[in-house]
Amino acid sequence: MSATTAPVPSSVARRQRNLGVSSEVPLQLYGLHRRTVNLVTLACGVFTLFTLIPIWWIFVSSTKTAPNVNSTFGFWFAHPFVLWSNLKEVFTNKEDGSFLQWLRNTAIYAGIGGVGATVLAAMAGYGFARFNFRGKNLLFIWIMIALLIPIVAFAVPLYLVYAKVHLDSTMPAIFIPFMISPVSVYLMRVYAGGSVPRELIDAARVDGAGEARIFLRIAVPLMVPALATVFMLNVVSSWNNFFLPFIVNNSDKLYTLTQGLQVWFWHTNISGSTENFTAITIAASMISISPLLLMFVVLQRYWRGGLLLGGLTG
Amino acid sequence: MTQVVVSGAEGRNMAPPPVATADVARRRQRAFQHRRDRRGLWFVMPFFVVFLMFLVVPLVYSVYTSFFTTRMIGGTVFTGFSNYTQALGDGAFWTGMGRTFLFAAIQVPIMVVIATFFATIFDMGVARFGGVFRALFFLPFAVPGVVATAMWGSMLQTHVGVFVRIFLDLGLPDPNFFGPGHLLGVIVVIAIWEWTGFTIILLYTALKSVPRDVVESAIVDGAKFSRIVTRIKLPIIRPAIILVVIINVIGALQLFTEPYLLSPMAPNVSANYTPTVYMYNEAFSAYSYDFAAAIAVVLAFIIIIISTVFLLSQRRKGALV
Repeated sequence: MSATTAPVPSSVARRQRNLGVSSEVPLQLYGLHRRTVNLVTLACGVFTLFTLIPIWWIFVSSTKTAPNVNSTFGFWFAHPFVLWSNLKEVFTNKEDGSFLQWLRNTAIYAGIGGVGATVLAAMAGYGFARFNFRGKNLLFIWIMIALLIPIVAFAVPLYLVYAKVHLDSTMPAIFIPFMISPVSVYLMRVYAGGSVPRELIDAARVDGAGEARIFLRIAVPLMVPALATVFMLNVVSSWNNFFLPFIVNNSDKLYTLTQGLQVWFWHTNISGSTENFTAITIAASMISISPLLLMFVVLQRYWRGGLLLGGLTG
Repeated sequence: MTQVVVSGAEGRNMAPPPVATADVARRRQRAFQHRRDRRGLWFVMPFFVVFLMFLVVPLVYSVYTSFFTTRMIGGTVFTGFSNYTQALGDGAFWTGMGRTFLFAAIQVPIMVVIATFFATIFDMGVARFGGVFRALFFLPFAVPGVVATAMWGSMLQTHVGVFVRIFLDLGLPDPNFFGPGHLLGVIVVIAIWEWTGFTIILLYTALKSVPRDVVESAIVDGAKFSRIVTRIKLPIIRPAIILVVIINVIGALQLFTEPYLLSPMAPNVSANYTPTVYMYNEAFSAYSYDFAAAIAVVLAFIIIIISTVFLLSQRRKGALV
């Protein structure tokens, strides 16, 4: 009797562990065939191939000399292996502007744009979630409508307005628009609503804390996971943005990486001298994607956090 | 606060609390709350100021400038709707518009289906190594559209691209990926490569938020795997799917980076390939900013109307939050 009942608690515990902590429903519950599992895993493998092919190609190609890029098999290495000299060439070639400067510019734009967007969204989200001021809903609807407005609708006009106030081709002209992120405001509102208890705010008020102090000392620490996610989201979209800087900035000293790479890529393909630029464009592209890939790996746990989760259904 | 306590404690054996005291308390509390409310505005204001200056002002200016025409001789004159009639009657604009519609109609459904498939698989833990695949699929999100296009463009390049060479080495005819029949397909592939991983994450997180007890009780009731997915999970995350569709349609109709970047390799990318490419060329090659602004306004209207109609149609079905 005891022999048959003994395993039950352990299997229940295992099931609970499966359901609760790892939050993966165990397969056995569905009675899936092993063949189904294999097929699905195979589908994942095929899509992985599709995902990794260009990344593998760019890595392999960045180790080749320019003539070898197109004359040898693209998916495998060839002699001579010149990765280091290609990388050096990326930083020393000044023909169309300096890669190092583009890298620095982009880091500044993405950094300030990301921090700015996060700060503005955190404040606005907290304000919307925890205060009841007149016109609140109208204001929020306005901001949400902006989600539907395509970036092309205001890029050229933004450039014209910049030209009028002599702000075109300046750094702030590029990074300030990165700070406007209605999605971030929405996510922050949802997250602040769920994670900053009203009672805590009221208690702090009774204790005589000012609103700014309450925000900085109580709300912000509670919103850290959301802040991290929103920051990453905005750094990535600023770093990768091409259209907006492309329209509002035409000074090559202020180029973003994407602008600079576009110039190099075109140079490679327009001028007959394909050879010279192929290798360094490829190497430069590879360098340009590495900081974000690194950031993903380091901060990966935040992508799994409950932020987007609440945001999409709440 | 204290008054409430006093009235509660003494109300039983004494007279009811004086009306005046309660009134004063209420008024004081209302004043307190009112002040607190106004402070809430201070938190929202910084965002709203930037929002107004860098988004609303340009938009308004865009509409304003689209009613004027700048000529070489005669300067800028008010010409009413002439830029709009020109844009709406312009075959070049509608050719590009039709092409982006076609692009959106192909790219968005394919991508959403693929993303939903994988999001479901990862959510249900059907595939082996699901976590690893999920992380791998997300990688392209870190790659700028410019770089993605440069990579795919180089791999598919006429005569020399690695895929073309594989065709030739197998004795097959040159596939000419940048030919008129294939070019849009190439752009669809690039866009799917860029955005599927991010879409998977959005849908996956939505699926993860479906209450566990709903799924568990279905399992206890003996519901089949496919039924749980199609009848429980997917209907619950319908708002997320709708959001993903709208975001991607809005993005697809603004198609610019991919065709623009491919244009030196692919002569088939015309000056009006998409409305955004057309607008760019009108603004910065022809310097007709007013006409470009009109194109931008028309495109924005089309996009807003499509997304609003789509949203409303979904709301009528009672499926939106």
